[in-house]
Amino acid sequence: MRTIKRMHILAGMTLMLIGCLSAYSQENPKLSDPEVASVAVVANQIDISYAEIAMKRSKNKDVLEFAQRMLTDHKAVIEQAVALVTKLSVTPKDNAVSQSLLEGAKETKKMLQKASKKKFDQVYIDNEVAYHEAVIEAIKNLLIPESENSELKELLTNVLPALEAHLEHAKMVQKKVSKY
Amino acid sequence: MKKRLLVPGFLVLFVFMGMGYTALNKTPEPKTHIVEIKKLKFIPAELTVKKGDTVIWINKDFFPHDVTEEKKGAWSSSTLQKGESWKKVITESSDYLCNLHKVMKGKLIVM
Repeated sequence: MRTIKRMHILAGMTLMLIGCLSAYSQENPKLSDPEVASVAVVANQIDISYAEIAMKRSKNKDVLEFAQRMLTDHKAVIEQAVALVTKLSVTPKDNAVSQSLLEGAKETKKMLQKASKKKFDQVYIDNEVAYHEAVIEAIKNLLIPESENSELKELLTNVLPALEAHLEHAKMVQKKVSKY
Repeated sequence: MKKRLLVPGFLVLFVFMGMGYTALNKTPEPKTHIVEIKKLKFIPAELTVKKGDTVIWINKDFFPHDVTEEKKGAWSSSTLQKGESWKKVITESSDYLCNLHKVMKGKLIVM
């Protein structure tokens, strides 16, 4: 029963994220490059914050290995994004999408902190699968089409294979965790 | 006069025949092959080499990667940062992966 409830919460949060991003895309067809950069950085920071919680709370080798990978790779993306905006003399600009992502992340972090020790790994990895699916969609359908600068577009395009690899990795861990 | 020319002539012929024989039987020099690691893929993902050839993997991603034999972890590079490379003399066919991004896979086939 609890598992079903948790899945409903996760599905709801993912839909909220996708809904927010696609609604924004339809209602505000224009995101400036500084706003795109802000959304990209925030999306990476959020996954780092989830991984930091996992590093503290999990004892599972596969989950810890995955969380460590998220820390390293998402930090690498942020470094690239920072290097690019510095080169372009652009300051990432806070906007409705990045604010909405941060609001959603607050709830998810609460959920991760409150999850019982026994259920934590499942809750974390389920969220990672859902989050990566949502972010991949957002990059493909919102951030890349909205970017004007070719280097920003290229960076986002280069990040996609990593996110897809993370998603597959998360699904592998999810299968293992569900057997425990 | 004819005899005097015949002996050196045979000698020269033997030397050339010997050189030709050596050239024919000489093992070809081992080759070096490059595998690029780019956009979380090994390129080419499948590589056919001869025993004794060297393969160099170059990480062109800004993510760290490694190169690890898949079945038993029989061999592995250390973590390769952007721009770093690792080489190995190949003696047998093997499947390998990036142990940091386990969905990245490659294959070496020894002819």
